[in-house]
Amino acid sequence: MNLRPAPAVRRVRSGRGRATRRWHAVAPVVGIAVFLGVWEGFVRWRDVRPFVLTAPSDIVGYLGRAPGDFASASLVTARHALVGFAIALVIALAIGAVMSASRFVERAVQPVLVLVQVAPFVAYISSVVLWLGAGDPPVHFTTALVCLPPFAFAAAAGMRGADPASRELFASVDASRVEVLWRLRLPSAMPSLFTAARYDTGLALIAAYLVEGSNFADDGLGAIGRRSAAQNLGDALWATVFCMVVLGTLALALIGLLERWLLHWHSSQRRRSRA
Amino acid sequence: MSVGVEIRGLSKSFGALDVVRPLDLDVEPGAFVSLVGPSGCGKSTLLRMVAGLEVPSSGSVRIGGRSPAEVRAEKRLAVVPQQPGLLPWRTVAQNARLLLEVNRRRSPAHHPDPLDLLAEVGLTDFADAYPHELSGGMQQRVALVRGFALGAPLVVMDEPFAALDEITRTEMRDLLARLLEQHPATVLFVTHSIAEAAHLSDRVLVMAPRPTSVVADVAIALPRPRTTAIEDTLAFTEVCAELRRHLHGAMR
Ligand SMILES: Nc1ncnc2c1ncn2[C@@H]1O[C@H](COP(=O)(O)OP(=O)(O)O)[C@@H](O)[C@H]1O
Ligand SMILES: [Mg+2]
Repeated sequence: MNLRPAPAVRRVRSGRGRATRRWHAVAPVVGIAVFLGVWEGFVRWRDVRPFVLTAPSDIVGYLGRAPGDFASASLVTARHALVGFAIALVIALAIGAVMSASRFVERAVQPVLVLVQVAPFVAYISSVVLWLGAGDPPVHFTTALVCLPPFAFAAAAGMRGADPASRELFASVDASRVEVLWRLRLPSAMPSLFTAARYDTGLALIAAYLVEGSNFADDGLGAIGRRSAAQNLGDALWATVFCMVVLGTLALALIGLLERWLLHWHSSQRRRSRA
Repeated sequence: MSVGVEIRGLSKSFGALDVVRPLDLDVEPGAFVSLVGPSGCGKSTLLRMVAGLEVPSSGSVRIGGRSPAEVRAEKRLAVVPQQPGLLPWRTVAQNARLLLEVNRRRSPAHHPDPLDLLAEVGLTDFADAYPHELSGGMQQRVALVRGFALGAPLVVMDEPFAALDEITRTEMRDLLARLLEQHPATVLFVTHSIAEAAHLSDRVLVMAPRPTSVVADVAIALPRPRTTAIEDTLAFTEVCAELRRHLHGAMR
């Protein structure tokens, strides 16, 4: 009997499917255009004061006057957020590995993570600055701290959730803990880590922005924002908000690309599933 | 280079629940022995104790004179589970190599080439595909290859074809029989399909439920090599009838 299967047949995408996809690709642009239009219209119609809400056209105009300043401040904030985000990820992987290996540690660490997560970090920023001094350290510290709980929960849950059949398979060849962690638990945690990464992107940027406003370094979008708020400069304040939104959008797009590349095997990345 | 398995007074209880009652069993080297019994009667538990994945409550298992833990540490035992358990982030070829790569220092010097094995089961064209692109039967073929790639003298299989449709199951029997001709090993095989047991086995042990005990030990004298055609013979039907009789006796 011949058990050789027929070669896979390439799925042909119909013309109509392609048109639908192109239509779907412009959907986000339409959404944002409508949002900005309503915003602009509202400000003009109600004649809102710039400090309360600045029209998008004025924000862009203001940015155009000092593009270099805002670009370099955005880079500083992006770097601050990225460093904190990365530190949190590394620590969370270590914590997750230990938590997934021991129920006791998991139960001991969980409440601490919850504590960190629900504590309003805005309230203790000045304490951190007093403790770590001016400049980058308090920014990195706070950013890493607020990013840690989502990453750690995701790492622990993802690692613990590794397929039991696969775990038994690894055990059947006497795999070491490190090997199980590296070859099985870590890849299993990737989908949930990506979900946490999306959530942490916003947290990291916001934490970086807020600490930049209080770390006496006059560095980053947060510093500009703080100064503009103190001087009632609505245009400048809203320009920093605009830059933050751009940073966040770029970061999320980057994560999306990374996810498509690293998680191509996961059902979330497939347009059609076999289920 | 197959090994025999010697089970003496082996039992297992989970708390107050006796799952396997003290059990003696000898499997001669190179034999294909099936365990048939109703669901929940402790077949998996028995198999996992043989594979050293579960600690017995009492008794002992010797595989070629050594303990399951030793045999497992030496990677001289292959497990084929009920679910293929393929890693979705690895290609078919990478999954086929998995057990060789894990704990690599203990991998045997001589073992079948996973790519050759993939060819033997007709999956060469799918070597670079990912598991989600495969049908259930194809995934289970990869699981077989992954097990046989170790070149282990003992293979334990826990209902490896149970999740497949009837047509695919029949193909898999044939495939497994052919793989074993090329790569002989002692096999402990759990199934609840009587035809599967009759087709593949040298011996079928019929088990009674909770606590597990062997109620019949039937030698299958059908000629080898066996192909799907054998299932249409009168001798095969008679063997199945006998097994069914024992099984029904056990369930009463
Ligand atoms: N780890 C465990 N803890 C408690 N009970 C278990 C455990 N593993 C199996 N059992 C029980 O042992 C019995 C036999 O299980 P199993 O060996 O899986 O049976 P089979 O493979 O024959 O279907 C079942 O009743 C099951 O609930
Ligand atoms: Mg079972």
